[in-house]
Amino acid sequence: MIESTSPRIRTFLPPYLLERIAGGSDPRLRECARHTLQADHGFRARAGAARLAPDSLRRGEPARYIHSAEGRQELPGRRVRSEGEGDSGDPAVDEAYHGLGATYRLFWEAFQRHSLDDRGLALVATVHYGQDYENAFWDGSQMVFGDGDGELFNRFTIALDIIAHELTHGVIQHEAALTYAHQAGALNESLSDVFGSLVKQHARGQRAGEADWLIGAGLFTERVAGRALRSMAEPGTAYDDPVLGRDPQPGHMDDFVETQEDNGGVHINSGIPNRAFQLAATSLGGPAWEGVGRVWYDTLVDRRLAKDSDFGAFAELTRDNAAGRFGASSREAEAVREAWRSVGVLP
Amino acid sequence: MTRPAAPPTLVPASVLRLSREGGVAHFPGLARPRRIHCARYSEAQRGELQRLLATAARACPVEAGADRRLLHLSLEDDRGAEVWTLTIAEEAVPPALLDWWRHAESEG
Repeated sequence: MIESTSPRIRTFLPPYLLERIAGGSDPRLRECARHTLQADHGFRARAGAARLAPDSLRRGEPARYIHSAEGRQELPGRRVRSEGEGDSGDPAVDEAYHGLGATYRLFWEAFQRHSLDDRGLALVATVHYGQDYENAFWDGSQMVFGDGDGELFNRFTIALDIIAHELTHGVIQHEAALTYAHQAGALNESLSDVFGSLVKQHARGQRAGEADWLIGAGLFTERVAGRALRSMAEPGTAYDDPVLGRDPQPGHMDDFVETQEDNGGVHINSGIPNRAFQLAATSLGGPAWEGVGRVWYDTLVDRRLAKDSDFGAFAELTRDNAAGRFGASSREAEAVREAWRSVGVLP
Repeated sequence: MTRPAAPPTLVPASVLRLSREGGVAHFPGLARPRRIHCARYSEAQRGELQRLLATAARACPVEAGADRRLLHLSLEDDRGAEVWTLTIAEEAVPPALLDWWRHAESEG
């Protein structure tokens, strides 16, 4: 999508090279390199803050730090709640704190994963970002939540699965690092929805058949004609609103959307692998994180999962992991295979 | 890295298309391109828009992460041909340019 610039300057250029660019003759590159160096300094400052508020040293226990941007677009903002402290009385702060905890618990209790990097990385979030800011995102090192505009969107911490969705982007970054475009990007988005939904189901003690399989329920105000941002069970049906438009997600490869918008449709075509997961989980029944959730997690951390994987490659890996964990003729392996067939990814 | 060109000089026949994409979900209604017909604005307003586009063109590349929102800009000449494009992270967009986006005409 970003044809004219490199989106990975911070990730791939070493500081010495950035410093050379910062001293070079191209004014824009010079300015960008300075910005990047400042951002890196900011990252290090955040790392410094994290040292003051260290990573978790005990497996099974999170280290959470919630900040408030106080309406500005500055990260991480003022720290307002740290691990072990009681409720602040600010709903956004407390929802973020408990949401990070619920996410940590799912990954720990179901998969024995100790935070985003499996090494206890501190979980950092900023709330009250910007004015009427209607979005939540993962910036590569922390979660960021806006308060919503109150017209269409409520505050973004209101939905536990959205908090877990953003954190899962952090897990993916530490594992397969799926490229954020086209099918690999849609897998990145789908995995974030899958584990976002699993966190919600785990927190509620729900079995697969009891779950709503909605992503972001509660985010819309009463003015919006819609249930949620996405439906994993019925992609394309989450909303149909005069302002927002109609949910564009397909649920089958026959309806795959070729587009340059949305980084090549990452939030659009994710409906297809989302539905595959939901079909497999509900056909098996029981807690979804124990059966097909385990297979998806094994695939997320599978070293064979390439950055540029497409749906077919991901599906084959889930089949292989289902067979490896539960047996080639197990109910789980059959459910996974049938789910991918149902959405047209496998023949 | 290649450097995006500075925006061409805006003339009354220029049309700027703006679309705000991305975020935690894709909403077709919000992402629908909007248009600014330069002929409808004074020379002083075109000058202000020119300055904002130049500032946007000097903004930095989109950084790492997921669910970030982006602003895609494209400039069309009097024959409707695209003569300049730019995609930048919303955080890097001059706030006054976002105001132009808010008030621009939707393509319906």
